[in-house]
Amino acid sequence: MSDSWRECPDAMPAVHEVVVSDATQLAPGVFLLGFHAPALVDVTRPGQFLMAIPPGGERCATALGIYEAQGERASILFFAVGPRTRELAELRAGDRFAVSAPLGNGFTFSNASDVAIVAGGVGIASVLLPAQALVQMGKRVRLFYGARTAELLVEKDRFAREGCEVICATDDGSFGHHGFVTQALAAAERKPDLILACGPSAMLRATAVVANELGIPAQLSLEETFACGVGGCWGCVVPVDRASAQAPGFPGEDAGGSGVVYARICKEGPVFWAHELRW
Amino acid sequence: MASGCYGSGEEFEPFVDLSQIGGVVLKSVTRAPRLGNPTPRLVQTPAGLLNAIGLQNPGIDWYLEHDVKKFAKRPCKVVGSVAGFSVDDYAHVAQRLAARDEIHALEVNISCPNVAHEGETFACDPRLTSSVVKAVRGVTDKTIIVKLSPNVTDIASIALEAQHAGADALAVINTVRGMAIDVDTWKPRLGNVTGGLSGPAIRPIAVLAVYEVARAVTIPIVGQGGIETTADALEFILAGASAVCVGTANFTDPRIPVRIVEELRAYLEQRGIGSIREIVGKANVGFASPFQYEGDEG
Repeated sequence: MSDSWRECPDAMPAVHEVVVSDATQLAPGVFLLGFHAPALVDVTRPGQFLMAIPPGGERCATALGIYEAQGERASILFFAVGPRTRELAELRAGDRFAVSAPLGNGFTFSNASDVAIVAGGVGIASVLLPAQALVQMGKRVRLFYGARTAELLVEKDRFAREGCEVICATDDGSFGHHGFVTQALAAAERKPDLILACGPSAMLRATAVVANELGIPAQLSLEETFACGVGGCWGCVVPVDRASAQAPGFPGEDAGGSGVVYARICKEGPVFWAHELRW
Repeated sequence: MASGCYGSGEEFEPFVDLSQIGGVVLKSVTRAPRLGNPTPRLVQTPAGLLNAIGLQNPGIDWYLEHDVKKFAKRPCKVVGSVAGFSVDDYAHVAQRLAARDEIHALEVNISCPNVAHEGETFACDPRLTSSVVKAVRGVTDKTIIVKLSPNVTDIASIALEAQHAGADALAVINTVRGMAIDVDTWKPRLGNVTGGLSGPAIRPIAVLAVYEVARAVTIPIVGQGGIETTADALEFILAGASAVCVGTANFTDPRIPVRIVEELRAYLEQRGIGSIREIVGKANVGFASPFQYEGDEG
């Protein structure tokens, strides 16, 4: 992300051919892949994602959050859980692949002053850019970070170094709060004025409930199985209020439509306001 | 580009030079607006994608008012796709869509249930196929491409009915019916339970369908079903297709279709072959139809 990310216009995405600069294993099954992509860095906004085109050319591209975007290097952080991510985990410095990027709408947060970022598991992959931007803007940033176990709380020290207060939670109690990250959020003494969340669907739903109970606006970066990643196939949808600014064009109720319409997570999202979702 | 895979073409414009390809077949439109199926709508399987989108579309009225004008600037042909649940639905949508200058041709998506006939799929019955195609033929002079379903016992007989009813060309094939089950939750993976399989797994099914249809009809065939490489495209052409369509492979890499067009040109040049037409059906001994078609790749 360029330093003047706030002025970053809606950049046209493109296919970027990139060269891997570094490949690191952060924990069992968790990888960080850095690549040379100066043109992409210039136009990436916090919360956007990319479609990683499989080097072997055999499968659908994979949607992954853009983790870092600084200088001439961007990176992705991912769990190797299936054939596509396992293929990416095999890449080494000097290997080439391609990405369609940047995609999606990203987070917005100019007006908040005390922001809680809620990340669960692989959700951490999408929240470094917003965290860095918020710290740069002088906001208070708390990262509520949950994982199954201590060793999967990857990069927690990185976020602390970037200027976030980091509050951890683990399912097995091996580090931080024993339980869900949303419990730690609900128990926080000073309430944030904005919540940004990314992680598994169950965590996002729980975050929406907490946000609603506390009366705090929340932006959720949703996950779903993607195919095209660019808005062409209508596979990756979520039901939203027809009146939402993020609803795709569709007839209103009087024209035979409905109060709810399916929006594309890859195009109208992936970030949606929790109160506009009708899932 | 195949219907349902390419939206309105606009979504892929940043990634692809559409002037390099023959045309885009748009997402199907129906008479009434349709919300589409509940999620999940997509499942990745080892060699193919299962989808159950449910024909989400804003309906023909909204489509004509808001969406069609965007197609005027496409540098390639624009083929509208008509779907429906009664013969009258098809005729209604086809007539209104075909009346627009932005639409060059119509593809008739007959893989839809006929509500009046207990939900039997039009494409699975020769007489229902004939009724729909005749109805659409009756409302437009523009090129009509009928998209056939592979989920039938005898695709050649369906193809013949479509030709006799007035189809100008046939799109072979649509998706193959399938499902997947989640072994942790014990539930079907698709919100709709069943869906259509596309991608490399169905390619042999599609090539055979083209082969069989090409031996039965004398109208051109647009071959599709798991094309990812130039060699795949050539299989379809040699089986009897005079044009090919790429859908799911766009989800692997949006650059694939243009790459195939360039490589096909190179293939012909290297062999001193003037045009695709010279090799259409060359692997199909029973294929003997002369035709006129300007297709390249869509």
